[in-house]
Amino acid sequence: MSQIRLHHVPASRSFRVLWLLAEMGTDCAIETYDIAGGSLRSPEYLALNPSGRVPALEVDGRVLMESGAIVEYLCETRPEHGLGRLPGDPERADYLQWMHFAETQATLVQELNLQWIFMPAEMRSKAVLQVQARRLAATAKVLEAALSERDWLLPSGFSAADVMMGFNVFALPYYIKMEKFPAITAYRARIEERPAYQAARARDGQQKFYAQDYYDPEAL
Amino acid sequence: MITLHHCVQSRSMRVLWLLNELEVDFRVVPHAFDKSLRSPEYLSLSPAGRVPALEIEGERMFESAAIMEFLCEKFPDIGYGRLPGDMDRMAWLVWLHFAETISQHCAPLTQQHIVIRDDADRSPLVMRLEEARLLKCYDAIEARLSTPVENRDYLLTSGFSACDIAVGQAVYIARHFARTDGHPELEKWYERITDRDGFRASLPDPESALIYTQDFYPPWDS
Repeated sequence: MSQIRLHHVPASRSFRVLWLLAEMGTDCAIETYDIAGGSLRSPEYLALNPSGRVPALEVDGRVLMESGAIVEYLCETRPEHGLGRLPGDPERADYLQWMHFAETQATLVQELNLQWIFMPAEMRSKAVLQVQARRLAATAKVLEAALSERDWLLPSGFSAADVMMGFNVFALPYYIKMEKFPAITAYRARIEERPAYQAARARDGQQKFYAQDYYDPEAL
Repeated sequence: MITLHHCVQSRSMRVLWLLNELEVDFRVVPHAFDKSLRSPEYLSLSPAGRVPALEIEGERMFESAAIMEFLCEKFPDIGYGRLPGDMDRMAWLVWLHFAETISQHCAPLTQQHIVIRDDADRSPLVMRLEEARLLKCYDAIEARLSTPVENRDYLLTSGFSACDIAVGQAVYIARHFARTDGHPELEKWYERITDRDGFRASLPDPESALIYTQDFYPPWDS
């Protein structure tokens, strides 16, 4: 089997794929891109992924996009690692639900990133940022409730749903105060103890998004 | 019995369209797109207060794409899923997830044009940026449908699937914010899939309160 190649932006959704491959003990080559530098818009990259987004994964002779699709595909084609919950598994519905809910939450983070990081300060709307932070906190409450009862999202233990959702957990503190979410904070600590997470983080590269620890809409 | 909790013109429309196509027995519980989704009763179904929620055989599910995956696996004979091992499985997953990418760019546009009340809070920059991102999504669909050999009628080589429903519904919403001109294959595909009874039956009833009351919301000038 030829080598797996991941097209990656540090601290972006492609980190999910990097981490999952580390959990599987599978090596991959990494091509790193810079959003601001425009390298995702180069003809070469667009030929690979016409939507100009990361991740893209070259695997099994094809090119895949969409982090959630890649995570599902890798778990199905490499079931020996036990990270997916395949069709027919009693946890299948929950697994799918968390997998996709991770994306719902990531979108809210992405909208806040757009407003706080990529938009000039004088163009920001306090009202919009307050609403967005509240919506993000509403999704965090769902996560908090689930994690108050167990260590990982599924009762049977760590799974690829944690890889999808766990990635988000590191972005939450920039936009919501974490004091109200002790179970998420403990979950984050459990993730950080995982050797595969540490290995993936070491290869991830420097994030260029966040310049402060907390972005407070009330301070506007 | 399957019960779908639905708001017109929201992501639950995808699940409604799929259920129509599956020709299974189900009932629809309509909800207003407002604070009632945060009532304790509704939150017990869908803890983030979002639609859709689905009740099926005593299970409760939320997240439209998760529900679509689950239904396709539950009713494999109808053939709208591509299950693990299928030649088109990889593409099926990619396009199902890509529908959500499109919807993610529609969400801030819906907020900017419709949900925000005070004009001072609207951002022409966000409107233009998100419109541009939708156009990039259209490019990806156009590229998928146009192949060097023979153009595809549907997103998958093997024919109509739940991907066309998910991406089709996302494009139904996106068309309110980004015109499809210049994407001829996408337009032909959209016409083809929306000519289905299953799509028509997922459209709002004439008396429903719509989220999108205009056909098109142009970006504001700054």
